[in-house]
Amino acid sequence: MNDFDTLRASFQGELLTGEADLITYAYDAAPDRARPDAVAIVSSVEEVRAIVSWCANNKVPYVARGAGTNLSGGCIPLRGGIVISLVKLNRIISIDTAKEEAVVEPGVINLHLQNALAPLGRFYAPDPASFKICTIGGNIAENAGGPRCLKYGTTTNHILSLDAVMPDGNLEHFSLEDRGPRIVSLLVGAEGTLGIVTRSTIRILKIPDSITTILASFNSIDAAMSCVSDIIASGIVPRVLEAMDRMTIDSIEDYSPCGLPRAEMVLLIEVEGDAARVERELEQVRSIAMKHKAGEFRLATDEAERARLWEGRRSAYAALSRLAPNVLVEDGVVPRDKLPEAARRIRVIAKKYDVEPALLFHAGDGNLHPNAVYDERDADWTRRVKSLGSEILKMCVELGGSISGEHGIGVDKRRAMGWLFSPETLTLFRRIKRAFDPDNLSNPDKLFPLEGEAPSEGVLRPKPPPPSDAQTAFIERVREKANRKEPLTIIGSGSKAPKTLRDGQEVLSTKVLDQIIELDHANLLVTVEAGVTPRTLHLTLEAEGFYAPIPLVPGTIGGLLATNPWSPLRDGVIAMKVLLANGELIEVGSKVVKSVAGYDVPRMLLGSWGTLGIILEATFKLSATRLEIPTELPLALTPKSNPWFKRLQDAFDPDHRLNTWAIEDKDA
Amino acid sequence: MLERLLTELGERSDYDAASQCSRCGYCEQACPTYVATGREAMSPRGRNQIVRSLLEGKLSDPSSAEEALSSCLLCSACTTVCPASVPTADLVLEGRRMLREGKPHWIAALASRLLVENPALFEALIRWGNRFKRWGLAGLAARFKILRVLGLPAMETAILHMGETPSQTLREILREQPERKGGAWAYFTTCGTNFLFPQVGKSTLHVLESSLGEGTAPEHPCCGLLSFNYGSVEDARTLARRTIEKFEGSDCPVVGDCSSCVAFLKSYPQLFLSEGEWKKRAEAFVTRVRDFSECLDPKDLPTGTVSETGTVTLHDACRARNGQGIIDEPRAVMRSLGGDRCRELGDGGECCGGAGAFSAMHPELSDVLLRKKIGAIADTQASMVLATSTSCLLQLVRGLKVYYPECRVLHLSQWIENSLPK
Repeated sequence: MNDFDTLRASFQGELLTGEADLITYAYDAAPDRARPDAVAIVSSVEEVRAIVSWCANNKVPYVARGAGTNLSGGCIPLRGGIVISLVKLNRIISIDTAKEEAVVEPGVINLHLQNALAPLGRFYAPDPASFKICTIGGNIAENAGGPRCLKYGTTTNHILSLDAVMPDGNLEHFSLEDRGPRIVSLLVGAEGTLGIVTRSTIRILKIPDSITTILASFNSIDAAMSCVSDIIASGIVPRVLEAMDRMTIDSIEDYSPCGLPRAEMVLLIEVEGDAARVERELEQVRSIAMKHKAGEFRLATDEAERARLWEGRRSAYAALSRLAPNVLVEDGVVPRDKLPEAARRIRVIAKKYDVEPALLFHAGDGNLHPNAVYDERDADWTRRVKSLGSEILKMCVELGGSISGEHGIGVDKRRAMGWLFSPETLTLFRRIKRAFDPDNLSNPDKLFPLEGEAPSEGVLRPKPPPPSDAQTAFIERVREKANRKEPLTIIGSGSKAPKTLRDGQEVLSTKVLDQIIELDHANLLVTVEAGVTPRTLHLTLEAEGFYAPIPLVPGTIGGLLATNPWSPLRDGVIAMKVLLANGELIEVGSKVVKSVAGYDVPRMLLGSWGTLGIILEATFKLSATRLEIPTELPLALTPKSNPWFKRLQDAFDPDHRLNTWAIEDKDA
Repeated sequence: MLERLLTELGERSDYDAASQCSRCGYCEQACPTYVATGREAMSPRGRNQIVRSLLEGKLSDPSSAEEALSSCLLCSACTTVCPASVPTADLVLEGRRMLREGKPHWIAALASRLLVENPALFEALIRWGNRFKRWGLAGLAARFKILRVLGLPAMETAILHMGETPSQTLREILREQPERKGGAWAYFTTCGTNFLFPQVGKSTLHVLESSLGEGTAPEHPCCGLLSFNYGSVEDARTLARRTIEKFEGSDCPVVGDCSSCVAFLKSYPQLFLSEGEWKKRAEAFVTRVRDFSECLDPKDLPTGTVSETGTVTLHDACRARNGQGIIDEPRAVMRSLGGDRCRELGDGGECCGGAGAFSAMHPELSDVLLRKKIGAIADTQASMVLATSTSCLLQLVRGLKVYYPECRVLHLSQWIENSLPK
């Protein structure tokens, strides 16, 4: 299709075009396949730039690829073009234990990083099942998770800054310290659709003094899940909290017996910290488990014993993969308290399609992995298994969850995005894509439905409660101004706005939006309107025994989010309702503690100072124990203009009518 | 072609075995050629997919698969880590056979036929080859590119890589000795030992005699591995049948001292999946086959004095570690004699890049792996490294000479022999 001679002039690295090479870049670990026209194995950032620039000039699509282990078709070159393999960009550039960060290239294998950190007493939290082979670049693209992200969050919580070759061929640096929207958060989980990450600074953590692994068995899924809920409610945040159902246990024990109790559900729980804390939490877990009539309750404290308990959990995939050629590893999320219902409904769906899925849950965060074996050469079997997966995802959305907790959307789930997000939100995603990649060359056709491809059922997530009267009035006012194409000035309490702002123009304050919309006790979530003050929220929550990771400072929560003077804020915020300048309502993120579906707009908006959209509501993760939060913060810095910020404005607010007063150097 | 394989999951057609690869990628970091090149086609997952495409007839240019399939070390490190134990090495061999379409390289075909029809002539040719090498004619041949003209550049590399060649084969030496008539074991003379490292065979026999008692060392045909890998499956079957016949009629263990051949002997039943009678005989034979490195109990070894000092380490032969699952046994023996001087290589048992004809056919890639291996040996500061396959011995002799001459390599049996009472 393409003549690569002109590319060879600017790229002297390895360019593969033989048929056997091309078919081996047509797949990842998911079922989809599409052959590229060429594969470039790059050894420098300059080579990445050379290829992307050539592709931009010649309108050739390209896809960046790491180890190719993703489970959603994320690195399949759907439109052919060039696969850019980053596996040789595999240096760990530096590890700084004083600053608790490391700088790595995208081809570094997750395990190799862990091996380099361990002697220094450090670890990198994201631990996807494929950690022995997958790359950090791939982890960033997919916003990968793993058992440990219950406590530590998925990849996005560990990326401090990154370099990316953007679709125009330029190399850019994005950081959490940026003044303006956190584009770094947008690139994590974007599956290479907005740019190719070529280097990243990641957060590293101290290995805890001691870790104890607990195995507890239960004779019903309900009992096990009630136990999980009570553990979370007690304020313990386990290092991991995994669940296996009867079918998973049976398949493991039939393959390589490791002494798992043949119960309806087995939980694997890890508590960590100093010895006193481990002892305390262990006793709490024990008494909660006993309350729920745990059968066995086994402990492992040393490395070898822990490894033995984990052996079963780790061999779950292997056990299944020997039963048939292929295994569907589905990935959905439901609110934790809905896990028993989800398990029941999965059984019903499975019966309908005559498939027997084995269930593995990252139970602590409601992330479920129903695994079903099949043979892709058997069309009917494949169809039934795919229907099972699809219907389970639909159920997750209906229960208020998400279609992916850690595997990403890729091509596999792009249609299902239509169940989760409104047409307006999907359109916003498309506009973001177009603003960054106008020719749609960087990993095209991923992440959201193609035009006209969205499923006919439409949005299936539970309808939120109707907006408050104040919110309705506020939205109305913005829409009126939108119709008249007037500039909009939005503030919270005005604590950070210059005093001159009110001169001569109408200023809209979100202070009127002062409702705490929902406190979800079971899932430790709170949804608030933007005008609620941190003080009000903290008082309300504390009365119920909850704590929010929000600084106790003057102003409004919306103002805090928009100005982002405290970067740990991003670890707590998971969803937002945003009003765009044109009056459209957008719901981004998911009200479950773990979701990697779609561009991470909520975290990107942190620091955008209301220049992209108006935050109406936000949802936060809560803690059942007191958190250390600041009561004083440095002055938030106003956003500075840059080309990529401008492109975001083009996507969100094409007429640049929102809060332009806040932007420095806007004419630069 | 075999067309049906004996896999860990049971008997499978080539197509079913290849399709068992779910493309999870867990094999990738275990594969030395993938790690060295970063090319998916040089990974086990890639090779499985290529073979599958060949079987499905989906490659419009099958010759594009040549490099990916010929560059497989057949080390089987992938199968060891594969959740479904996909037999990539066997699939790659089937893929190579498909590409050859029954037309092996003339020299391989000739060797394979000779082994079946005139083993004596084969032996004579090798002896002459060794003589040429000793006379320095190989260098001369290389200078005039004779082998290249004959279409044998790989052989030219191979000959140049070979160190000293022996003046007498092991069989010649044994023929001069009184015939062994014990019943404790039967020694299987592997080609590598016979033609290249006869002193290894002498040591093996000496160690077996002092630890297990008297055995036999019968004349027998080649195990068939050369035909299986480079020639025709039918030739391999013929040689396997003859080998089985030769060793039948006794219960004693059949011991070989080159792990490649022993692993192949252990895979005999796969050759006879459609021949019920021979399959049974092969299975009975296999129950008796032992790798030298697994047949010694440390307590059977006389506690002698090992004269050397310095650190000693063990290099796993892929065909022992992955091919036969032998890991602990040779270490137990090494520790019982070497005690505190023993150190583990830190490379997780990776291939040295020798891999039979691989080092000659892919010299550059082979050298990358060799340097890694020598680096791992040097990291232990060993002055002695032990091996159990003659292909590894060849490779390590060469690598140590160039990159780390402070260290010597010996076959495990030679090292044990050094500790026996003189």
